[in-house]
Amino acid sequence: MSAIASLFRNDYDADGFRTCSVTGLDIHQSVENYVKLFGLTAVIALAVGGSFAFSVAMTRWEFIGLLDPSSYYTHLSMHAWNLLIFWMVFMEIAVLYVGGPMVLGRELPLRRLAALGWVTMVVGAIGVNASIWLAEAPNEAPLLTAYVPLPVTPWFYATAIVFLLGATIAALPFFATIWTETRDSHRTLPLVAFGAFVTGIIAVEAILGGIAAFAYALAWRIDLIASVDPGIYRQLYWIVGHGTQQINLLAMITVWYFLTHVVGGAVVISEKVSRTAFILYLFFINLGAAHHLLVDPGVSAGWRIWNTSYAFYGAAFASMIHAFAIPAGIEAGRRRRGQGGGLFGWLTSAPWRNPVFASTVFSIILFGFLGGITGVVMGQIQVNMTWHNTLATVGHFHATVALGTTLAFFGLVLFVIKTMFRRDFVSDALASAIPYAYGAAMSVATLMLMYAGILYGVPRRTAEAVRNIPGSEFSFSAAIPIFMIFGIFALLAILSGVLFVGVSVGSLLFGGRLAEGDDGGMLPEGGLHADGGEPIHAVELRGTFALCLIFLGVFAAVYVLNWYLLTQLWAIGA
Amino acid sequence: MSNPLDDPDDDWWNSPVHRRESIWLGLAGAWSLGIFTWMAGFTQFGDQNPVGTTYEVDPDQYQERVGEYKEAAEETDDGLIPPEDDVYVGAMRFNWDGLPAVLEAGREYDIHLGAYDVQHGFSVRPEENLNKQINLQVFPGSEWVIPMTFDEPGTYHVVCNEFCGQGHRTMHGRFTVVEG
Repeated sequence: MSAIASLFRNDYDADGFRTCSVTGLDIHQSVENYVKLFGLTAVIALAVGGSFAFSVAMTRWEFIGLLDPSSYYTHLSMHAWNLLIFWMVFMEIAVLYVGGPMVLGRELPLRRLAALGWVTMVVGAIGVNASIWLAEAPNEAPLLTAYVPLPVTPWFYATAIVFLLGATIAALPFFATIWTETRDSHRTLPLVAFGAFVTGIIAVEAILGGIAAFAYALAWRIDLIASVDPGIYRQLYWIVGHGTQQINLLAMITVWYFLTHVVGGAVVISEKVSRTAFILYLFFINLGAAHHLLVDPGVSAGWRIWNTSYAFYGAAFASMIHAFAIPAGIEAGRRRRGQGGGLFGWLTSAPWRNPVFASTVFSIILFGFLGGITGVVMGQIQVNMTWHNTLATVGHFHATVALGTTLAFFGLVLFVIKTMFRRDFVSDALASAIPYAYGAAMSVATLMLMYAGILYGVPRRTAEAVRNIPGSEFSFSAAIPIFMIFGIFALLAILSGVLFVGVSVGSLLFGGRLAEGDDGGMLPEGGLHADGGEPIHAVELRGTFALCLIFLGVFAAVYVLNWYLLTQLWAIGA
Repeated sequence: MSNPLDDPDDDWWNSPVHRRESIWLGLAGAWSLGIFTWMAGFTQFGDQNPVGTTYEVDPDQYQERVGEYKEAAEETDDGLIPPEDDVYVGAMRFNWDGLPAVLEAGREYDIHLGAYDVQHGFSVRPEENLNKQINLQVFPGSEWVIPMTFDEPGTYHVVCNEFCGQGHRTMHGRFTVVEG
């Protein structure tokens, strides 16, 4: 207990504040402790969900074929809920507290609600885990979606609602902070606080949809209503199912702006453009819930086209804005300090040994190239016919969440260990290796999932299909070589995840305590606010522009390839 | 230029945007509108669109309809030959009712998709070319009528790719497409 209590100890002044030696922010004890609490809980969810990654991947790699179908779907449900929901949402509450009261230098208001929110979320998360693990026939494993009318235990829907209510309660202190800061003044919030605010609004929208979906299904399961409409449930469910992934996206982008600044010396090249991109998200990104309904009966083509494109690709345009603005912020910040000449000198001379920096930059690159491009391509209603419910879809969301958001959050956790827990890493070499090992292994595993899905049509959500479909001569055995590569790299990715948890927990327990004023090697060369004094026009952004052109070229190539494959098919549709 | 942890200057809205960022905004905007136009246009001129007509139908009624269709169809060793241009497929745990079926290449059929119990995934591909595949969601309560014209003879395999229960992976069906 004393070891845990010591994690929440720092030297504060009489008012409970201290000044961060890296960011220079005035941090109140109350904010810091709740960020630590939500962050640690998230890492526990990561460890639980990550262990199920092992059994799930080793079953889909039919060369090993670890689990029987009777256990596989239970393990898959545990993997999905703990990683896609609990690891992410606990981290996101921490991100809100950083982006709100911490960046603004305030105490955490309504602390009892923060505590109540945490307790409710933990009760909900344990309840969801228990309801999945203890489900008995005729109830089936819910997977992530719990699609009605497949029978799923009512306890699952009830505890999922409890978790969502908890997340709403936990977000209230953040909204109270923003309210107090802006009520009486015309101040413009810092960009990170603004990004966190938009994230919070998107989160509330998602949560309301989730409560509606699960309450509807629960009412049917406990016989309050006689029948349930699968189409209506799907529409409600995907408000939260996709909405939570939009929270991940916005929280991740907010973290990108934050971390590239504090460890990479990035600046904001245009407040106007970056904020406009967040506003575009606010209006349009939740339309993306329709991505899951593109090959459903009963929804018109016009409805699908409007929504899947976020209204003329308003939100995809916003992401492309951040794709330029964030690397350009690094380029401008570093060029102004005279760090790196030529086209890419600013990038090659960056602090690549700092795992926080490397995690963040890999997150940006891999999210964009693997997750973002595939998301837009598979979100075109026609192309979706070739992606829907294949392993390619699973590849897509591992690129966005398991590579993009998870790497950004790895960086954030490592940053918090240094700056809030004030601990040195148990091993700098191992800590530095995390983003490289995890990024590389997970990228290959993700690409193999995409290939298996798009080139071989291997279905998702099945315990076996590649080597054997029981009762049939047919199988997807042509994809066996793809799965040999997938299995090995999935194992390596899981080991890299173990490395992350090991270094994090090890540093918290055994890492040396950093002296006051020690930046722990986090600060960029030349300090945080080194200023060459040049206005933005005088700074070259050639490197970022070249990178973005490469990105657009890859985007166009993937787009054309997918459309080519589609047009080779037999004729379908009116 | 500002940093993301401080309030920006008062005139932040009027600060000029870097030339290269402006160019990028133009490229990204044009690309966004371009792919929107292509997707919307393809519903008019393209041959592959997940577009059909949906009817609300009670799952039991749909099962009856598939039963009537099976009565009317001609039974062969390779499966049912549909009496007309309508082909009925009923998804159920863990079977594709109405399959296997024998169809003619080059002939347009109206494929009727519906389910008797829970949600299923209708996933079909020719045996010799796995990267040609189409996936559609199937519900109880909806009858989705989608035209399809198989252009090449061969065996087309149908699997379920929406989780429908423990026996889900065994759900397999077949179209045999013969020269028309």
